Amino acid sequence: MKQSGNNQNKGKEKIARMARLKAVIKKEFLHMWRDPRSLVIIFVLPLVMIFIFGHVLSFDLKKTETLIIDLDRSLLSRELASRLAASPVYSIYSLSQGASHQKDKINQDSSIKLKDEKNGKENGNEAEGKKAEVKINGKKIIEGNQAESNISSQDKVSSKTKKGLTETADYFEVAEKWLHQGKIKQYLVIPPGFSRKLNSNQSVQVVVVIDGSDANVANRIYQYNERIFYNFFFRAQHLQPPFEPEIKMFFNPEIASTPFIIPGLVAALMLMISAMLTSLSLTREKETGSIDLLFISPLRSGEIILGKTFPYLIIALLVSLSIFLFAHFFFNFHLRGSPLLLFLSILIYLAVGLSLGLLISTVSSSQKVAMLVTLLGTILPSLFLSGFIFPLESLSPILHSLSYFIPATYFLRILRGIALKGASLHHFLFDALILILMSIFLLALATRKFQSLRRAKS
Amino acid sequence: MIEKIAKKLQLNSGEKRSIFEARISPLDQKKGNGLSTAIEVRELTRSFGSFVAVDRINFSIRSGEVVAFLGPNGAGKTTTIKMLTGLLRPSSGQAFILGYDVKKNMSQIKNYIGYMSQRFSLYPLLTAAENIEFFGGIVGLPHQKIKAKIEELAAIISPTYLNQPAQILPPGIRQEVALFAALLHDPEIIFLDEPTSGVSPERRRNFWMKIYELKRQKKTLLVSTHNLDEAEYADRVIIIHQGKIRFQGELPFLYRQEQVASLEDFFKKMVPA
Repeated sequence: MKQSGNNQNKGKEKIARMARLKAVIKKEFLHMWRDPRSLVIIFVLPLVMIFIFGHVLSFDLKKTETLIIDLDRSLLSRELASRLAASPVYSIYSLSQGASHQKDKINQDSSIKLKDEKNGKENGNEAEGKKAEVKINGKKIIEGNQAESNISSQDKVSSKTKKGLTETADYFEVAEKWLHQGKIKQYLVIPPGFSRKLNSNQSVQVVVVIDGSDANVANRIYQYNERIFYNFFFRAQHLQPPFEPEIKMFFNPEIASTPFIIPGLVAALMLMISAMLTSLSLTREKETGSIDLLFISPLRSGEIILGKTFPYLIIALLVSLSIFLFAHFFFNFHLRGSPLLLFLSILIYLAVGLSLGLLISTVSSSQKVAMLVTLLGTILPSLFLSGFIFPLESLSPILHSLSYFIPATYFLRILRGIALKGASLHHFLFDALILILMSIFLLALATRKFQSLRRAKS
Repeated sequence: MIEKIAKKLQLNSGEKRSIFEARISPLDQKKGNGLSTAIEVRELTRSFGSFVAVDRINFSIRSGEVVAFLGPNGAGKTTTIKMLTGLLRPSSGQAFILGYDVKKNMSQIKNYIGYMSQRFSLYPLLTAAENIEFFGGIVGLPHQKIKAKIEELAAIISPTYLNQPAQILPPGIRQEVALFAALLHDPEIIFLDEPTSGVSPERRRNFWMKIYELKRQKKTLLVSTHNLDEAEYADRVIIIHQGKIRFQGELPFLYRQEQVASLEDFFKKMVPA
């Protein structure tokens, strides 16, 4: 008899609990709905950020201004120039008049002389800065093949070429000026006798001067140059390269940086938005004092937390969907793997973010503080310590160990796995498990903090 | 029987509790039976760092009493009410609501107290009806009851106000709705923390009419205010200043004891300009 009464009470309590929870959830939704400006910001902000970051953070070269000083004016020299021009990576300025048609057979071997010029005035005294000469010869380009034997003395040719170039000092003046002004990123000089020397099996030096003020860009220009020169010399001779490595890039055939960058951005933004949603919502109640009414009510702390989390989970899911759609249409981001797996991992990841937001809200006194802490605590670690920009392997041991505590580290692996590789569950089960543990830990900690806040409010 | 109760009390707490409180069960309270003290405060203290906001205060309020809690701004009124409603933990001392210890039995106390504060009373973006729905929901009112309550409110304020966001409601209406929201679960004891600040004297009078209505329903009210004219409406006043209670009792008694003609004079005496 008593037992059944107890059960009845328990049943009643359960119903009451559900009703209370429903009231909180409904209120949160209504509140969002009535505040369309905030809602728009929540949806638009990540899209704007993804748009800006997606373009700024591109590691691909685009339209590298290149000046070609063609002193040979031969068919071959123009062939080289047109090869450069054909690549979308360069936009070509040309300094050469007229051209003589010479159909020369060239023998292999050449060397590219690369001068890296520092524009930065670190040392101050000399406006020119230091010039570092890097010599790249055929050996380097073809990397350890038989062509080695054909390389003639580099130094001789080098001095010869320089002599020849002094006659066209005007060109150089223009080139140097443009380089200083930043009008061009690099210039290359095709010396007179370029095709003749190639034909007579002599070494030829093509001088390439690259603006080295941005080491990353310079490095990439250098690599692109190398590839084009390599192709040119073999094709021009109608020769097969001694060996041709057949390289296939899996998952990202064009080695474009967007498919690589977008998942990182998505991961960082999803964490930020989800944490922001809960942290602002709860601190707003703290700021206005409405939290007192919740505390005084029979609402349990768990009900407040759950009631605060659920609506924002829905919103965060919608925001994530819009982020993915945006990335799909504007950044050519394609999903190779299972949408269901992606959805599940997003759910787990958002739970981490929402719990983190709750935790932040329990320790911050105002919405401003909460926003700042959320931004610093989500975006920065997600960008720098998740392996998004800097590969984890290249981080210092301390930072590397820190990366294990960053949710984005795990989600990024999952996301890249599903989106780029079409990986299946067992490939990232471990990462998913870590994320689940993280969300449980954070939620438990947030609930604890919240309870102590409620009990001993000061 | 008495032994049993005493034993239980000892088990429950190491602190001293008078038999007096033990005798008043909330059920008796509801029926209006027995000796009834609604609120009992003993040596209640709250300090923030080195600042003592409430300094060893003692008072008790009987069931069905309307007490004005008077004092200048920063005297400790809100801190006291927050301790009595469980929003703030006392640094030391004790407080009992219907015999329940605020330090230990807050979850029981919650069902018997209502609270309304000037600082925040309604969610500004929700309509009056939605506010009622929310506050009804979190105190566990069933759906039907909430609907009935909203209709009840519609009869008090004009129905046109019902579906307006709280932030654009006229202050008087907003106050009405806020009080209505605080009373949804039909609490025995009602704490009103400066409910009338920033409201015209005429509206204050109307508000006190509401309070009398509650008194007729045998509710106990502690109303904090810094408007001296409101003290006249209350059964009794408790005057607090700098965290200490300066007077508690009926006003004529205060005038006689302190030899002042009005409350204003008393405050002038207490807080020299």
